[in-house]
Amino acid sequence: MTRPGANTRPTGPAGTPAPDDSGKPETPETPEATAQGTPVPGPAPAGPAGAVPPGTAPPAAGRTAGARARPGRKRGRGDWYAYLFVAPSLFGVLAFLLLPMVVVFVLSFFHWELLSEPTFAGVDNYRRLAGDAEAWRSVWVTVLYVLLCIPLQTVLALALALLLDRRVRGVRIYRALFVVPWMATPIVLGLVWTWIFDPRDGALNRALALVGVHGPEWLSDPSWALPAVALVSVWQNTGYNMLFFLAGLQGVPKELHDAAATDGATASQRFWRITLPLLNPTMFFVMVTNLIGAFQVFDTVFVMTEGGPSGSTAVINFTIFQTAFRAFDFGYASTLSMLLFALIFAVTLAQVRFFGKRTTYDLG
Amino acid sequence: MTKRLLLHVVLAVGAFVSLFPYLLVVLTAFKSQGQLNTTAPWVPGLPPTTANLTRFLSGDFPRYILNTLVMTAVLTAGQLVFTTFAAYAFARLRFRGREVLFWLYVATMMVPSAVTMIPLFLIMRELDLVNTWYGLLAPYVLGTPYGIFLMRQFLRTLPSGLEEAARIDGAGPLTILVRILLPLCRPALGTLAIITVISSWNSFLWPLIVTSGEGTRVITVAIATLKGGIGTDYNLMMAGGLIALLPMLVVFVFCQKYIVRSVALTGLK
Repeated sequence: MTRPGANTRPTGPAGTPAPDDSGKPETPETPEATAQGTPVPGPAPAGPAGAVPPGTAPPAAGRTAGARARPGRKRGRGDWYAYLFVAPSLFGVLAFLLLPMVVVFVLSFFHWELLSEPTFAGVDNYRRLAGDAEAWRSVWVTVLYVLLCIPLQTVLALALALLLDRRVRGVRIYRALFVVPWMATPIVLGLVWTWIFDPRDGALNRALALVGVHGPEWLSDPSWALPAVALVSVWQNTGYNMLFFLAGLQGVPKELHDAAATDGATASQRFWRITLPLLNPTMFFVMVTNLIGAFQVFDTVFVMTEGGPSGSTAVINFTIFQTAFRAFDFGYASTLSMLLFALIFAVTLAQVRFFGKRTTYDLG
Repeated sequence: MTKRLLLHVVLAVGAFVSLFPYLLVVLTAFKSQGQLNTTAPWVPGLPPTTANLTRFLSGDFPRYILNTLVMTAVLTAGQLVFTTFAAYAFARLRFRGREVLFWLYVATMMVPSAVTMIPLFLIMRELDLVNTWYGLLAPYVLGTPYGIFLMRQFLRTLPSGLEEAARIDGAGPLTILVRILLPLCRPALGTLAIITVISSWNSFLWPLIVTSGEGTRVITVAIATLKGGIGTDYNLMMAGGLIALLPMLVVFVFCQKYIVRSVALTGLK
């Protein structure tokens, strides 16, 4: 049986801290560990030593302690060529990630309509932002979008993973099919879903008509346009998220469930008390990456609604784009970018706090 | 028994929902305008017509497809090469400032790409690189912090005895990397390649901003222009969609396991 993590596991946990690797059902800590454990001197039991291939045991075990002191000294100056290896990517990071961050910050204090010279504006742009109802509406639209898609695509993904995390026939086929939406080009997807949401001939309203429901105008209806766009995100991301939960679930030791069941815990108790807490790291990763993505949504909005009808889908990234490339107001667009940055930063920080507080059970 | 059946029904519905939009693309792409109006969207038009595809491919679109292929190939090659070098240095070599630099990389993983779009455009404009291949490719060809992070994690899991032996035999760092470590990195490289291929092929906002001429237009930007205009020509849109989606579907069929493995590479198990 192949599992998502299976391929890396044999060579696996030697280098990574991986505390969650310890309770793996397939690595019974008994025979190999003890057979190998004898010659290893001090701090051996720290990691799940059972996974280290027998032949390489001595160097691997001594690595963390010994390597730092020993070979580095011999090579004197250190590995000068390391700088050569890092240089191209470092240039990329500096020129295309850090410099732009500095530029956008500085420009947020300038007036610049691109044709004229930039002029220092102090906090003018920020003052304008404070009173800009349109900007705040786009923040609200973005938050609404996030609230529409994130819970759904997380819960659905977890539910699917729970369904697949058992001996079902064709798990691998289902798993593959669920991931197919993830690789679709968002721009194309936007067009396809525009066609599905077409009020007259679209598949959705045609299907609804079959059961006697008169569907709404979807993308041209201010109250339905945003949920429709959010649905595309749910469709695209649920399957890929499911992969993460599935991998996470396979790290939940079965013995825990068995023990809890013997003690009379119901299935839902076991889910809330065992499965969910142990999925904490996975949940954290999925939530952080999905939220960062959702706050920057652009492609589907651009192609499906262009922010309309009447601004009901004008998410902040779209507003930034319009301010910069339609109105050529690069100074104010930079200020809006800083707002988006602050938003994402705050939400990510909040999650670090939230997930950091919760206990992860280290089953050593 | 019924429980099992129910499970399969639920999973089958999920799979159907996942595939339905693709099905719709295929069906619509092969329908004539008349068939589109007379048949339900989920019913195939008979006889199927290739008129939409030929209409789509007769314009400038082959050129945009070629542009996209070039962009995808260059970005993927760049990502693999530069990421591997940097990740190798961070994972297996010792040099001054290694930890600081690595944390700098990790920190920049937090920078949302949407925030850097405007300054990046302005930087490219200053350098006169707007609407050139350099402008299109430069920001992403040198390897992404995320890719370097993944590769570093993977390289650290390889036993260190590997290089020690080769080093004693007098192998230089390049030889060690290419001859010894790279062959072991194949799974991680495969995953990184797939992720980069997909994200390059699908990229839209940066190409939209930085290119305007035909010479560097990519397929996503070209397809976005199909909407708008008078009326919506769904036949043509879906024909274009089919052609844009097809390469990724082929990639998926052949490289599914690498995508599944991308999950394990993040270090979350």
